[in-house]
Formats: sequence, C-alpha cells, structure tokens
Amino acid sequence: MTENLPIPGDLSGGKRTVFVVDGRKKVHTVWEGPDEVEMAEEYDLSSDELLVRKFKTKNKFGGEGEWIFEIGEPPIKHHFDEELRESSNNPYLLRSDKVEAFVFRIRNLSYPLDVYSVNVEDNKIVVRTSNKKYFKRFIIPDMIRLKLPLEQKALSFTHTGNTLIISYQKPQVLLTTERVWREERRRTQGQRPPQNGDVQCPTS
Amino acid sequence: MDVSQMAGIETKDVTRLDRVGAHSHILGLGLDDSGQARESSQGMVGQLRARRGAGIFLQMIKQGKVAGRSILLAGQPGTGKTAIAMGLAQSLGHDTPFHMISGSEVFSMEMSKTEALTQALRRAIGVRIKEESEIIEGEVVEIQVDRPASQTGAKIGKMVLKTTDMETQFDLGSKMIEQLTKEKISAGDVISIDKATGRITRLGKSFTRSGDYDALSTNTRLVSCPDGELQKRKEVVHVVTLHDMDVINSRSQGFIALFSGDTGEIKSEVRDQIDQRVSEWREQGKADMMSGVLFIDEVHMLDIECFSYLNRALESPVAPIVIFATNRGITTIRGTEDQSPHGIPTDLLDRTLIIPTKPYTEEELSQIIRIRGEEENVNFDDDDEAIDLLTEIAKTKSLRYAMQLITTANVYARRQKQSTIRIEHIRHVLSLFADSKTAVEKLGQYQDSLIGQKKKVE
Repeated sequence: MTENLPIPGDLSGGKRTVFVVDGRKKVHTVWEGPDEVEMAEEYDLSSDELLVRKFKTKNKFGGEGEWIFEIGEPPIKHHFDEELRESSNNPYLLRSDKVEAFVFRIRNLSYPLDVYSVNVEDNKIVVRTSNKKYFKRFIIPDMIRLKLPLEQKALSFTHTGNTLIISYQKPQVLLTTERVWREERRRTQGQRPPQNGDVQCPTS
Repeated sequence: MDVSQMAGIETKDVTRLDRVGAHSHILGLGLDDSGQARESSQGMVGQLRARRGAGIFLQMIKQGKVAGRSILLAGQPGTGKTAIAMGLAQSLGHDTPFHMISGSEVFSMEMSKTEALTQALRRAIGVRIKEESEIIEGEVVEIQVDRPASQTGAKIGKMVLKTTDMETQFDLGSKMIEQLTKEKISAGDVISIDKATGRITRLGKSFTRSGDYDALSTNTRLVSCPDGELQKRKEVVHVVTLHDMDVINSRSQGFIALFSGDTGEIKSEVRDQIDQRVSEWREQGKADMMSGVLFIDEVHMLDIECFSYLNRALESPVAPIVIFATNRGITTIRGTEDQSPHGIPTDLLDRTLIIPTKPYTEEELSQIIRIRGEEENVNFDDDDEAIDLLTEIAKTKSLRYAMQLITTANVYARRQKQSTIRIEHIRHVLSLFADSKTAVEKLGQYQDSLIGQKKKVE
C-alpha cells in the first residue's frame, strides 16, 4: 500500500518539519496536491536509527485516513472483544533497518537455520520452511518506490535467539540519498513542538 | 475444484423468509439470443411486442453508454407493466442499481418533491469501486474450545489453520466460537474468514482428509488445501449508489443514516463535491460509473412541478434510465387544469419512448394462471376444468382477481382435505369474494341503504 503512493520515489519534494520529542527526532513531511500525503518518521536521538515510518492519506470518501505503518508498529489497541486474533506465540515480522541494509526480523521462529529458505521471487522476498510451519511473502516498499528490482545476491539471512534475521543490502543510489538526509537531520536542531500555554511572540 | 475459483461463494442466509409476492414468478424478460420474445419463458407470458421493446432497452442499458433515456409503459390495468419492469430488473443482474418508486412517494413531509426525486434518481446511479479486503483462508487443523471453570464465563478457544506452506494458531472470541459451532466446522474443513466483518464461509472439505470418511453427503464439496499465506488481500468490487455517498458525506454518522432511512434534505454543495470526486476517480481509473434504472410506477400521480424538474434532470449526463408506468388514459395533469395523455405533459412525453401493453388473449391468461399456480405450489385437477373457469373469470372480470382466487381456493381445498383444486372449490370461493366489477353492480342496487351516497352510481 505504501509503495504506490503518489509521491516521488526517493521521498523528496515534501515540506519537512522536524520536532524533538521523548528522545526521538520526529520528521513530518507533507506533499501537497489533490491527494495530500503525509509521512511521519521517527529517528532515535542518539543512534539515529529509523524506528518508525508511517504514511497517511485521505480515505476513499474524503474523510481523514489512518496512519499506515511501513516501519514500526502502531500503538497496541486492546480489542477485548476481538473475535479472531493470532496467538501471541505466532511468528511476526518487523523491520529494523541498519545504515547499510534493510533488516527484517521474524521473531518466535524456533526452528534451526537449515529449515529456512529465503529467496527473491517476482520482486518479493519469500520465506519458506521445509517443515511447512511458516511462510511469508513481503515487499520492500523503498525498492518499489525507487523502481529497482530485487536481487538474490543482495539477500542474506541468519538465525539467532528464536529470530530469523534477513538483510537486504541497500542500493548505492539509496545510500547516497540517505547520507544527504542524515547530514540534514544532524544540522537541524528541530523545533520544540507546540505545547499548552504557548503563545505567539508579538512581532511589533 | 480450486479454492480460487470459488472466491465468489456466499453463505446461504438460512433466515430468509420465502414469501410469494405478486411478481415473484418473474425471472427475466424471457427473450432468446436474437431478442425475440418467447411465448412463455422466465415467468413472462404473451405481451410479445412490449417485451421485445423492453429487450432493446435492456441492451442499451447493458452497454452503459446512454444516459437519461426514458420509456413509458402504458396500458390497461393487469396487462403486465410492472411485470415487465420486474423482468427488466432481474435481467440486469445484481450489480446494476434498480430503484422502484411509486408516483405518490415523492410527496412527503420530510423533504420537498424535488429532493425526493433527486434522491430517487441518485439511488439509480451506481459507482463501482475496487477495494481490497483482508481475508484468512485455510484448512482447519484443530479447534479447541475450553469451557471456563465458572458457569458464567465466556468460552475461550484456539484454532489452528494451515495452508500447504504454513500453519498458524488463532485465539477465538465467543462470537467466533458460536459461528464455528453453528456451522459445524471441524478439522479438515477449508474455510475463509473475512477479517473486517468476521464472517466465516465454508469452502468445502480438504481432499487430503477425504480418506477419513467412509461416506460423504452429496452436499460435500471437495477442495484442495489453499497455498501460500493464510492472510491474503483480495480485491473486492463494491457498487455504491450516488445517494449512499451523499448520505455518508452529509453527516458525521452517515453510515447510521443509511440504515435508518432518515436522510432528510442533502445540501447541494455535498452533491457537487461527490460529483467532482467521482469524476476524478473515473479519470484515475479507480472507479466506474454505472447508469442504473429508476422505475416510477403510477407516474400520473406526479404533478406539474415534478414533471418540469424531470425534464431538466433527464438532460444531465449522469442521469439514469427512467421507466414510467401508468394505466390512466387522457387525464388531468396534477397541479394544472389541462388534460393530457396519461396525465403527463406533452414535452416530457416527447422525450420518452412509449411501449404500449395490450390486454391478454385467452390462451395467455390460461398460461399465466398455470404459472402462478406453480409458483404458489398449487395443484390443479387434471381435467383442466378449474383452469378453464379461472381463465373465464380472468377474461370477464380481471386477471388479478383470478390470481387471488387461486390462493383462496387452495386454502379451501386443503381444508376439505383434498390435494388438488377442483372446479367446485373455485365456485365456492367465487361466491365468497366479490371482484371490483361485481361490487360496482351491487352498489348500484343497494346504494340507498349505504351511508354517504350522494351521486347515483351508473
């Protein structure tokens, strides 16, 4: 869903605002237009690791849409009457990128390393298990936005602590762009987000 | 049979009431491939020319390229006008919006006449939107339901679903457990769960488990276990009418307004916005516009203001197809003192194609009575005397009256513990229930003793 939003492939062009809140640097980007798209990213203040990236756009009938998380998880909604939910000991996928690669972690997978096979199929990453216990097909939205095909040789995986860790090396183009964004983030101090009781300074 | 081929399956709603209505025997227009009307087909009998005309119109609607055309079905009472409209509606299929109103419905306290007509017109225009919904499709490995220690607690359950590539365990809530027990879902069943609505659909039994059973009922479908991921995004096509979109956008709890029917007047700014948005979507290819059918029965009940409004509304590029029906001859146009054919101003008549309906022949009447008999699960006696009498009644009095007698005679025959209707039964109910013509005659005789008689009934 987030890979085919009407925004530039390298996430450039929007109007950016930076806040520092709760030990995280929050970058809010807005692309104006007939379909307004908002993106919110949260970077850890000390390690500059990208923790959250989410998008919001208007929904079908014109109302305000919901945040769709590309990286990170939405705050847990406790559905006490949720009729069907996955058991909590089921494997789940989460993304925790490093500077040089996209990293995907699948937790709660207790099978040994030789059970897994991770391949690129049809521009998606497919994880299979020889004991037929787990299967997952997923995309890398950043690569689709940049219109770059996935390559098997950039893919590698290990298994440790009941977690399968899959790394995909970021292409050179992206590494350069991200270096530029990183420099910009280091330079901007970030505004203090408006709080209760704040008053606009009189200018005259 | 592959699971993917059966994606369009819907559960049968067991609580649907099977009631027989006046036109429930109509399944379509009964035309063959070249558009010729068959003598008796899909519940329609006779009236060949009118049905052929309607068939041509059906082609126009299906192609979807014309907007704002209208036809008028005109003829004596009991000549199949509403039946043709129903046949047309059935032939259009589920997707095409078909809205039926009666002329007098536009006069209401809640909204003005033009608002009522606008809503009716917009209910007949559909927008086909593609949406993705998440479903979980897999074979049941096991279902485990635990009753709580105390009597009053809710049941908790676990279910393991699998595909050929993976399996997952789910925790179940009480409503889900109820659905599963009601549908008698057990290990080996292949099911599909819509995450949004929580509805479970049984797709069949898995091939691999068929060896477990020595005998399977004829209803059982054998299906192959689905592959890939358990949770899939399927593209679902919704058809929403413009009216639905107006209502959703006109107030904060628009969804509730849709169901309660209390829509009130909708502002024109809201409508303009919706029109603009729909045209944007069409340009982007996200949605498709479908011109449906609005059927206005008893159109002679509309007044001159409504007619002027319709003249204008039919010229819009997003107007639906409108079918008028009336059985009046040269009558006054409501709201004026002028007389006009069918009570419709001639400028609107000019814009419509008129399909006349003729009275039925004796053969046709007999056929219709037989079809109604079948529809109501009624057996006529073999020597056809009962049917002949009913045909006679339909010819001299009225077809509707004869159809009413079928039901009543059936009840009488059952009470007499007889399984078929015989001529004596018909004669009996004939003597009990009078038709409108007989009523008029009797009124002529007894009018002096009835209250409120001022004019002499001729």
